[in-house]
Amino acid sequence: MKVLIIIPAYNEAQNIEKTVKDVMENTNYDYVIINDCSKDNTKEVCEKNNFNIVSLPINYGLTSGIQLGMKYAKKYGYDIAIQFDGDGQHQAKYLKELVNQIEKEECNIAIGSRFVTKKKPKSMRMFGSMLLTLAIKVTTGKKISDPTSGMRAYDKKAIDEFIRNASLTPEPDTLVYMLKKKLKIKEIQVEMSEREFGESYLKPLKSIEYMINMFFSIIFIRSITRKNK
Amino acid sequence: MTLTLRILLIVCSLVSFVLCVTKIKQAKLKVVNSVMWMIGSVLLIAVSIFSSPIEWLANKLGFMAPVNFVFLIMIGFLLVQTFIDNIRISSLNEKIKELDHYIALKEHEDVVKNNDKK
Repeated sequence: MKVLIIIPAYNEAQNIEKTVKDVMENTNYDYVIINDCSKDNTKEVCEKNNFNIVSLPINYGLTSGIQLGMKYAKKYGYDIAIQFDGDGQHQAKYLKELVNQIEKEECNIAIGSRFVTKKKPKSMRMFGSMLLTLAIKVTTGKKISDPTSGMRAYDKKAIDEFIRNASLTPEPDTLVYMLKKKLKIKEIQVEMSEREFGESYLKPLKSIEYMINMFFSIIFIRSITRKNK
Repeated sequence: MTLTLRILLIVCSLVSFVLCVTKIKQAKLKVVNSVMWMIGSVLLIAVSIFSSPIEWLANKLGFMAPVNFVFLIMIGFLLVQTFIDNIRISSLNEKIKELDHYIALKEHEDVVKNNDKK
């Protein structure tokens, strides 16, 4: 199967080289960097290294970046699209297992999860994650132990959903949507490292806003998704 | 309603009506978008001049003063307007995003083609 790794990058000049090298060394899949109109020299770094990069002229956030990645996957006929952070938190060696699960038709979406076999540590961040797990459990009946994980592999069906519905985000509420559409989700245990440089998309002050958005979306919008006829 | 309030309402409605028409002439406002404002101001003038039906209705509905009823209608009108604007902004946002994506993919395609030629 043709596999595409989507690497969204916003001001990741310091991390991107390492991430892409990790991807190239540990997998033999294609990749595309989505440069979300970075203000630093992410683009120059990529061009210097001859990386495959798509540059957006206007900054529109992570969601738009992933959506563009899905369009790219559709346009060039990929069977599996993987969302992979460009900030060095994710390790490419786990991607093979995600792809395996989809190839074996075990699931439509494979999530690289930190907490399948390991317990969640106790912190504010993990408390938020627990609440999201609970909200997903209540609305769909499925347990997703690491709903905020940004390492996800989508099969063709899921890619088509992304292209059909422009409101889908690479966030937990989309998992509810996909489950309601009767797509199967499976979690695979992975390790993630702390980011080395730069700031995350989710700044501390934004976390509360993020949680409120997610809860509204899961409970009022995604939970009443109807499955395709 | 008191006479001063009625005069005030009439003056404001007239001003907004004239503003709408001039903006359309200067091509800064689309006719479709201004229709609601013009209807609104015409209605307000009508209410100010012929206030007895509104006073009767306000009385029947149990408002303490007819002017409260007029204000309530105006607030409702504005809420609807902002909601419609919100929808418009969202759809514009979506359109710009589509363009953003299209340009990015197109540029990438061109780069790949150029590299192949070389």
